[in-house]
Amino acid sequence: MNMIDNSSGGNIAAVGTTATILCCICATPISPNPSNTCSACLASETDVTRGISTEVTIHQCRGCSRWHQDAGKWIGCELESRELMALCLTNVSGLKKKRNENGGGQVRLVDAAWVWTEPHSMRLKIRLTIQREVVAGGAILQQSFVVTFIVRNQQCIECQAAFRQGTWKVLVQVRQRVGHKRTFLYLEQLILKHGAHRGCLSIETFKDGMDFYFPDKGKAARFMSFLEDVVPLKVKSSKKLIGTDDKSNVTNYKYTNLVEICTLCKDDLLFLPKKLARTIGNISRLVLVKNITNVIHVIDPTTGQTGTIESDAYWRDPFRPVATAARTRLTRYVVLGKDPVFLERNTSKKGVSKKQRSKLALITAARESDLGSNNSQLEERSHLGYLMKSGDLCLGYDLRECQLVDDEAEEERVAGKFPDLIIVRKLYGGVATGESDSAKKRTFRLQRLEVKKGGEEDNARGKKVKKESEMEQMDEEDFLQELEADKEMRTRVNIYKSDIVLKDDDNVDDEDDDDEDDQKITLDELLDNLVLDAKPDAGDDSEMHGDMVNDVAEGQEGMKFVFEEGERAAKDNIGYVGRDEALHIQAKDTAIPVNVWGKEFMEKDVKFS
Amino acid sequence: MATRVAFENSNEIGVFAALTNGYCLTGINRSENFYSVFESELSEHIPVIHATIAGCRFVGRTTVGNRRGLLVPNTATDVELAHLRNSLPDSVVVQRVEERLSALGNIIACNDHVALVHPDVDRETEDVISDVLGVEVFRQIVGGQALVGSYCKFSNTGGMVHPRTTVEDIEELSSLLQVPLVAGTVNRGSDVLGGGLIVNDWSAFVGLDTTSTEISVIENIFRLSGAGSSSGGGQQGQGQQSNIVTNMRSSLIDQLS
Repeated sequence: MNMIDNSSGGNIAAVGTTATILCCICATPISPNPSNTCSACLASETDVTRGISTEVTIHQCRGCSRWHQDAGKWIGCELESRELMALCLTNVSGLKKKRNENGGGQVRLVDAAWVWTEPHSMRLKIRLTIQREVVAGGAILQQSFVVTFIVRNQQCIECQAAFRQGTWKVLVQVRQRVGHKRTFLYLEQLILKHGAHRGCLSIETFKDGMDFYFPDKGKAARFMSFLEDVVPLKVKSSKKLIGTDDKSNVTNYKYTNLVEICTLCKDDLLFLPKKLARTIGNISRLVLVKNITNVIHVIDPTTGQTGTIESDAYWRDPFRPVATAARTRLTRYVVLGKDPVFLERNTSKKGVSKKQRSKLALITAARESDLGSNNSQLEERSHLGYLMKSGDLCLGYDLRECQLVDDEAEEERVAGKFPDLIIVRKLYGGVATGESDSAKKRTFRLQRLEVKKGGEEDNARGKKVKKESEMEQMDEEDFLQELEADKEMRTRVNIYKSDIVLKDDDNVDDEDDDDEDDQKITLDELLDNLVLDAKPDAGDDSEMHGDMVNDVAEGQEGMKFVFEEGERAAKDNIGYVGRDEALHIQAKDTAIPVNVWGKEFMEKDVKFS
Repeated sequence: MATRVAFENSNEIGVFAALTNGYCLTGINRSENFYSVFESELSEHIPVIHATIAGCRFVGRTTVGNRRGLLVPNTATDVELAHLRNSLPDSVVVQRVEERLSALGNIIACNDHVALVHPDVDRETEDVISDVLGVEVFRQIVGGQALVGSYCKFSNTGGMVHPRTTVEDIEELSSLLQVPLVAGTVNRGSDVLGGGLIVNDWSAFVGLDTTSTEISVIENIFRLSGAGSSSGGGQQGQGQQSNIVTNMRSSLIDQLS
């Protein structure tokens, strides 16, 4: 049966003058339209704004002036800004597309403008202009109306966390009992790269570690399992009863997890226990820590033999390094020459990969401080030999002079069984040439975590604080140099282009180096846009500590700007109804019929988000 | 007079009833309200008959007829056909039509002299229409719509067409049908005239939603408000009348001078 109305299919565009018909309600002669009703009647009969809320509550945090977006997300945006408009509009119910609603056709948002409100009224007003298809055929009405947003105060999670005693549930104390902070600097970068600090309420640093506060056990467990994957560690958990309700069988605990990181760090010099040395491929007892992952990688600098110490093997019998690669313990050397190394045929090559063997070289070096004064030279094999060429600078342990903490090791050293020099890493860039502003000229920089300074109340101010910050600066510099010299390590962290690189891309990379040096930092490794605030430099330490890098700070800073009324709206290209007009504005204008919504409305979806 | 009526809360009364100058068919309703409206208006003059076609109530859309005959689709059963033949006056020929487009009411619009049909109907059907109904058959579209039965409605005195019909088309149709036509709506702006309006030469029924404006247009064009007197004065009717008057006057003057 062809009873189905085929009005859409058989619609042949009629050529000729259309007849006038009478409006079916008021008998005004009109040209036919889908509802066959004159516009005035149509407007009086239908309410375009039906189903759209005109009063909406939005939440703002009083502490940080951020606005609640949804699902616990808080964003900072200025008054009159485009972002705030978007946030407000998403809260207006009925504006979203719902096709099968009985309200007739879909609503199209045509215009939205801020309306002036009294600054302390806790109200925001937006005048919306919408179009809606009122009859199935396509008669469209347009109407303007004002939506009022009631601003209510609600504390955001971060601000709640400021009152931390009440909110945190699990504390993860990460500790490493060493004299420097390099491991934590590295850890910080790993955490940032993997976003492992998500869900963390706050972070505090202490003298030999950091505290991470979490709102629940799951997040803390996730964080700890992340740590487990990146460093060898040992966990000790404890809990403290806060309160208990016997009737409903509910107890409230606070958990503390002490995470102890192994004391060995990258570039530390180890004198392995005999037994351990034997189990990992009969490696020489004097080894360098090559890097630390969830296991400890060691390398014998004179043969290139490598080995790994498992985490549990370490914790079964923990030992300390005989010399740590911190600060002043390393000496600067100038490479004077290099000779190839031929391993004798009958010596065991077990455990030494061919790759490592090929990297070995016999380095002739002199202490940088000796250069002008005497003629003492050292000749020693190094696993980093392949990187060196004469004139290069490197850091190394001077085993002729340094004091080793282990008795047995010290005896052997005195007996001269150790090499005189163990090269730890090559120096690059400004550090190598000894420029004073080398730190500032680095081509890369790092993101930092937002960390609170915790620990003992420093009653001894002044000198002690100054010394601490100096030490920290030194650790940071060490860490950056380490990063510079180790390609593998760089792959595990996010490094960004610094301002220098951003300013002049061509200027930096002009020193052409030999191809052999695969550890050198290249521009391709650097990530582009670090969204930091406009702080001058990473080297500027005094400002780094309290420095927040996330958007909270930005939002707050933004709020400090005082715009003239309507200025911000104009900047964002949003309409603004000023104070005088706002008094005369109607809550609801009468609907105006529009013939067709222009093509641009059909195609373009006005999207705010 | 045009009467407002609804069929079980539906305004599309043209679906459920068919009206000609010789008889009226109504679909079977649960209550007799619908039927009794027609009965009270028409039963003095013509038979009002309960009918189904293929067991369905929408007799208005499936059948088409005038005072000479009634066409039913091939889906109509023999019993229904027999019932119609028994109930209708003997002068009315009831004929089954083997037409693919079985909703005859949608594809055919007719009065006692002329019929407009959907451009796609079979040639045989066209012949049957002209034979049984005794009309001249034109393949036409109205207002860009091929379903002429749905989008226009005319009696021997006047007619109404789809609101989007152009002035030129109205003039052409009007000369074809030899009745005055007007573009109009029923049921508060609906353009489905066949659904909302059933009409013969002296009575009309419209959907319950039809506004007084629409009714007055309908009454004027179908000359229902008391023997074509122009009390309200539909534009077209009046215009035609005044045309006749001026024509007569001018011819008289011609003769006299």
